[in-house]
Amino acid sequence: MIKVTGLRKTFTSHKKEPGLMGSVKALVKREAVLKEALKSVNLEIQQGEIVGLIGANGAGKTTLVKILAGIVHPTSGDATVLGFRPWERDNNYRKQMCLIMGQKNQVWWDLPALDSFLLLKEIYQIDDARYKYNLAFLAETLMVQDQLKTQVRKLSLGERMKIELMAALLHDPKVIFLDEPTIGLDISAQKAVRNFMKTYQREKRPITILTSHYMEDIKELCPRIVIIKEGSFVYDGSLSDVQKMLGDEKVLSVTTEEKTFKVHVPRAELSVKTQEILSSNNVIDLNIQDPSIEDIIESIMRFGVGHS
Amino acid sequence: MRRYIRLYLYFLRFSFSKAMEFRLDFFFRFVMDCIYYVVNILFFKVIYLHTPVLAGWREDEIMIFVGTYILIDAINMTVFSTNLWWLPWLINKGDLDYYLIRPVRPLFFLSLREFSANSFMNLLIAGGFFIFSLSQYQGTYSVGDLFLFTILIINGSLLFYCIQTLTILPVFWTQSTRGFVDLFYTLGLAMERPHRIYKGIYKVLFTTLLPFALIASFPVKVFIDGPDLMTILHISAVTAAFFCLLNFVWTKGLKNYSSASS
Repeated sequence: MIKVTGLRKTFTSHKKEPGLMGSVKALVKREAVLKEALKSVNLEIQQGEIVGLIGANGAGKTTLVKILAGIVHPTSGDATVLGFRPWERDNNYRKQMCLIMGQKNQVWWDLPALDSFLLLKEIYQIDDARYKYNLAFLAETLMVQDQLKTQVRKLSLGERMKIELMAALLHDPKVIFLDEPTIGLDISAQKAVRNFMKTYQREKRPITILTSHYMEDIKELCPRIVIIKEGSFVYDGSLSDVQKMLGDEKVLSVTTEEKTFKVHVPRAELSVKTQEILSSNNVIDLNIQDPSIEDIIESIMRFGVGHS
Repeated sequence: MRRYIRLYLYFLRFSFSKAMEFRLDFFFRFVMDCIYYVVNILFFKVIYLHTPVLAGWREDEIMIFVGTYILIDAINMTVFSTNLWWLPWLINKGDLDYYLIRPVRPLFFLSLREFSANSFMNLLIAGGFFIFSLSQYQGTYSVGDLFLFTILIINGSLLFYCIQTLTILPVFWTQSTRGFVDLFYTLGLAMERPHRIYKGIYKVLFTTLLPFALIASFPVKVFIDGPDLMTILHISAVTAAFFCLLNFVWTKGLKNYSSASS
């Protein structure tokens, strides 16, 4: 399991004014800027769970994932994954986890995927039988049997992502960090990756932390979500409960001759507000709906919990 | 250990299959390195037109020295250079991530993953010249001397790698993409001069803190003057110290590594 207590990470950067003078000034006196990427967060995830980590750019998602993957050291606080402190980089931990980043490659670009897999087999000391079985299972589930012998750089983005997934999962990791796995993929490739992850999660029961900007990924895969805003967790709970948070509201989608807009209205004021809108605008279309999960999460990310 | 050797064999295989694709690069490296070898050999040939002995070595002895340092240079160009070329960029841009999550020593991976197959031809030429210089040697030597010499050359290559990497690792703190590696190339010239030309403080400096004299010149000294325990101990101790220092700085650097956001 994953247990995170009071985890903090502060990054230091240096401010520099633009232009040549700014560079000269920075040589003499640099102003340090501290950025708190994580502000004392706590988290517990059990084996077999898949958790969606949601937040705007720079909210601290990737920092958390990188600390848990052992890439970055935290400033303070503690975290254990499968009983290991990740940043101590114990080989026994690293053999049981994997990280997949949608924007970075891990397989050898100029070689066929199978060559990279052989290297990974050696790195993770996967025995022949398990390697053969996993290779066949992953290639079949991801439907890439025919692409394994082609140079990776000649594959499409979607096929490359599937190869990346294979490379990361060959050693049966018990913990999976998936950072934006569907970024840049077309709809059908996104779907294929999602379906694969669903099957994989069901069959192998790893702990998975998924970060994604695509709500479809989260909705399809994650029964539990953690919403992170400016380094703090603002929501940690089930995805279905999120809807209840704003359950007291309705959303009016209004189209007038000039524009289209949405208004969140408390249920009790619904009829008054609707009449107000209808009388004061040239309304072409008006829809009354429950808020969608996207609306709610966006609202939480922008204003925090408790806003209505 | 056997696992690391097997991993290295994979690196070799990958690098050779990649190299076949870039023939132009292969050609340029070959020509550039050959010019470097010829210039170095001619440099000492010209000096010996004016004097029979330089820093205690005759021309046939100095040619063994030249053969040794171009061989060490070729070994480093082939084994480490491509990897070390990219290392500061990987650190600076926060691209070490995939190397840090593997259950293998990251520095092993980062230093050896790309065997520069394009330089392999140069390694053969440098090796050829080295053997030629030995054949012209007027002194005598045993198989044991030759064995010890080989070990010391390998040791010299490792020391060369350690010093070079140590000048790169400040990138973890300076945020530039160069570190002090330019300083390494400037001071590296000290490797290409016989150690006896250094006196006083320079002698101490180039045999301890910046041990360039131990890379090629000391191994040649041991080969020509015969094994001497103190010199061998000195070379081993300094190499071991630099190896430990490299690991220490690397570990410290990783604590400072901030990676890049995706």
